[in-house]
Amino acid sequence: TAGNKIFQFGPCKVSMSMTEIRSGFNAIKTNIQARDPIRTLSILSHPHSLHKVKPSDRCCITHHLFNFYVDKVFKHCKTEDSYVNRKISSIANSFLSVRRKLGQCHEQNQCMCGQESTEKMKQILGNYEGLNVTSAAIKSLGELDILLDWME
Amino acid sequence: SGELYCSLPNPRNVHFESVNMKNVLHWSAPEGTGDGVLYKVKYSVYGVGKWIRKPECRNINRTWCDLSNETSDYEEQYYASVKAFLNGMCSDWIETTRFNPLTDTKIDPPMVSVSSTEKSISIILTAPEKWKRSPEGESVSLLQVYPGLQYNVSVLNKKTKKRWWFSISNNTLVVPWLEPGTAYCVSAQIHVTTPLLHSGFSKEHCIATLKDKTA
Repeated sequence: TAGNKIFQFGPCKVSMSMTEIRSGFNAIKTNIQARDPIRTLSILSHPHSLHKVKPSDRCCITHHLFNFYVDKVFKHCKTEDSYVNRKISSIANSFLSVRRKLGQCHEQNQCMCGQESTEKMKQILGNYEGLNVTSAAIKSLGELDILLDWME
Repeated sequence: SGELYCSLPNPRNVHFESVNMKNVLHWSAPEGTGDGVLYKVKYSVYGVGKWIRKPECRNINRTWCDLSNETSDYEEQYYASVKAFLNGMCSDWIETTRFNPLTDTKIDPPMVSVSSTEKSISIILTAPEKWKRSPEGESVSLLQVYPGLQYNVSVLNKKTKKRWWFSISNNTLVVPWLEPGTAYCVSAQIHVTTPLLHSGFSKEHCIATLKDKTA
């Protein structure tokens, strides 16, 4: 479809409707980020930035990040705004299909996570569990552009 | 006790205006306040715990503050905040929304240079540079920041008013099979697919193909 982009994560090549995801996120970004009052904590980018992940670990950490968003974020992001909810489920569906493709390739190629990115994922989950589920999920959703910027 | 009484109306519309990642904080004066209002500015890196004051924007009476230097790392995201003071009173700190330099900046049109032969014109496009601290500073083209950057180019035959459109990734374009001795006007725009960003069109650059020597 238009706006599909091919991503190479180590041995895994995945096509993703990046334009669709980006425009969906842009439509709700201000709304979602306004629901997150905590400035002093980031789920994804602190203390260590995603940009410090070694290229060899990209396959593994992307796989885990997509699992994180599908399993722990989208399902806890219900809002009172049906427009926002529709956009969230559209993004979630795009993530679901990428996760499936990435999961298959991840298994076949045994993408291994190095020690650094294992630490990074532990830190992300630690940041997430440091908040109540709804706050953590909304904060993670508000940081989707951090993930997309890093992927690109 | 000199304690400030914060009942001054708040600054309004506090937001970043960013072009080529020159990131300037802007706001409007509090409602109903005339001259004499002063402002303080602070900013923070999202996810990091502290607010940082901007000394050059302390007790200023203008309603903007250049935070390009403080927000130049486009792998980070930022908040900024403004507080107003007047006659011993102050307002609340009023914050921006979260600012992502990578996706929230505007991009200037590309520079266009054209040359011609009898039957073709050659176009060279140059993407603008990212804001830099000083003229001697290292130049970073927005092409390096946005690897997916493309150019949309329009070529107009001034005589027939026929227009062609091209979408190219590299920065040079040769348009062949043109009419000798004819004026053509070129305009170009930058287009980034994701994040979705596009510049305006450059002003038109017109050039005539050389006359046909055999005619």
